Amino acid sequence: MDRRRFLSAAAAAAALARVGGVASAAQAAAKKPTPVPDGVPPSRRRLLQLNGYAANAETPLDALTSYITPNDLFFVRSHWVPQYPTLKSWSLVVDGEVEKPREWKLADLKALPRTTVTCVLQCAGNGRALHRPAVPGVQWRYGAVGNARWTGVRVKELLARSGLKPGAKHLHTFGSDKPPEKVPPFNRSLELEKVLEDGVLAFEMNGETLPAPHGAPLRLIVPGWCGDHWMKWVTRLSPQPEPQKGFYMDTAYRYPDKPGEPGVAFKPDEMHPVTELFVKSCFTDVPASVKVGAPVTVRGFAFSGAPDISRVEVSEDQGQSWKDAVLDPQHDPWAWRLFSYRFQPATPGSVMLLARATDSRGAVQPKEAVWNQSGYLFNSWHAAEIAVTA
Amino acid sequence: MRSRAAFALVTLLGLALALPGALSAASKKKKPAAAKEAPVNFDRFLPVFGTRLAELPPGGMKGLADGACLTCHSADIVVQQHLTEKQWAATVTKMAGWGAAVPDDKKSELVAYLVKNFGPENTGWHPVATRPMGR
Repeated sequence: MDRRRFLSAAAAAAALARVGGVASAAQAAAKKPTPVPDGVPPSRRRLLQLNGYAANAETPLDALTSYITPNDLFFVRSHWVPQYPTLKSWSLVVDGEVEKPREWKLADLKALPRTTVTCVLQCAGNGRALHRPAVPGVQWRYGAVGNARWTGVRVKELLARSGLKPGAKHLHTFGSDKPPEKVPPFNRSLELEKVLEDGVLAFEMNGETLPAPHGAPLRLIVPGWCGDHWMKWVTRLSPQPEPQKGFYMDTAYRYPDKPGEPGVAFKPDEMHPVTELFVKSCFTDVPASVKVGAPVTVRGFAFSGAPDISRVEVSEDQGQSWKDAVLDPQHDPWAWRLFSYRFQPATPGSVMLLARATDSRGAVQPKEAVWNQSGYLFNSWHAAEIAVTA
Repeated sequence: MRSRAAFALVTLLGLALALPGALSAASKKKKPAAAKEAPVNFDRFLPVFGTRLAELPPGGMKGLADGACLTCHSADIVVQQHLTEKQWAATVTKMAGWGAAVPDDKKSELVAYLVKNFGPENTGWHPVATRPMGR
């Protein structure tokens, strides 16, 4: 798909027209530009590279305007340079507290009943760059988030066929990526209760084969929970009585039990594992400047660890007063809600818009996120400034 | 992967051959609507994961830092930080524990190099726009 878009770029097509056999396809592409069904125009189709290797790239906010985030614009987060599994040798081992441990090939999994869920994936560190004082790590701003349609097999379906024993409380997850040097492996676990209820092992993303950077052939989908639980390149699942140990459980991906003083690091026992997403909204489509008196519509998205968003409000006066934005009717549990807000700037100068969301459990996006030394779950009110010209 | 590389090569070759023609054609016809929708300007001929990489700045510790850091990750993640001396010292200790080649007697010099270049006032960093790549 991205190759077709690539071909449709006018310069490349004109260039290819001079190269024999490839020319006809290129000319056809030039005459008939590939339609962009997601509505994200070519001028906005790019990622922002935060790290070349390991590959880390976020989506610019102005490309996060569609309900479904296209695969080629979906943020990529890698701990290290991954070794993508080959389908021929790949298998999924299910062992641990099960009656019937076994290896599954992808074809075996595809023969099980399928399900599709549409939900938000957000990196726990999205917004890290916005915490003050600064914290170390990939300096994600707003775009380590996307909303996609994930198709696969429910974890419940798989574990039911494995004979899950009653003593199992945590699902230990393992992927095929191997860390360099003495870096600890990215082994994780999560509460079995959550993953039995909502977890999906996905082999498709937005109707296409799951792309390699997103975990092909199989990725764990945990709707409503941060990306650190969404193991990519899954090779082993092991239900166990206790949580998994290791750096990525005991030190990383932990969040303070209660707010502290910004800049003062919390001790590990003052924190718990990051799980649910926090309620959050962002503007995506905001004009840089507008004319005074002219009506303007700004857009954005909102999501939470709760299954739905009940309200998005916008303030034009630094949070003194708030007006309701219009929520788009399109929704699935733990997917985001697109919103729009129409207003008419009355005086020239500039206007600062603020957005805050409320979720279906009543949690309200805070004015200021809780500072933590790893920079997780930033969700302060989002501000957008618009110049108003006479 | 191989076909992608071959494709990029063919495209590059084609562009070199056709560039003068393409430019003159563009100057004859002005299409403001099309120009508005033009793709963004990133280097589409670089490999997907190999868009322009940052480099560590000059200084006595550059050689050591290149060797210790860039084995596992590009310099991008270093140059975007703006950390205090305490945070850099903790980071260097963590990375040395994970296998980064930092001799004990060079650690404080390396931390000083990092603080000098990527201390709290290093706030001007911007990410590189790169082409869509998630597949």
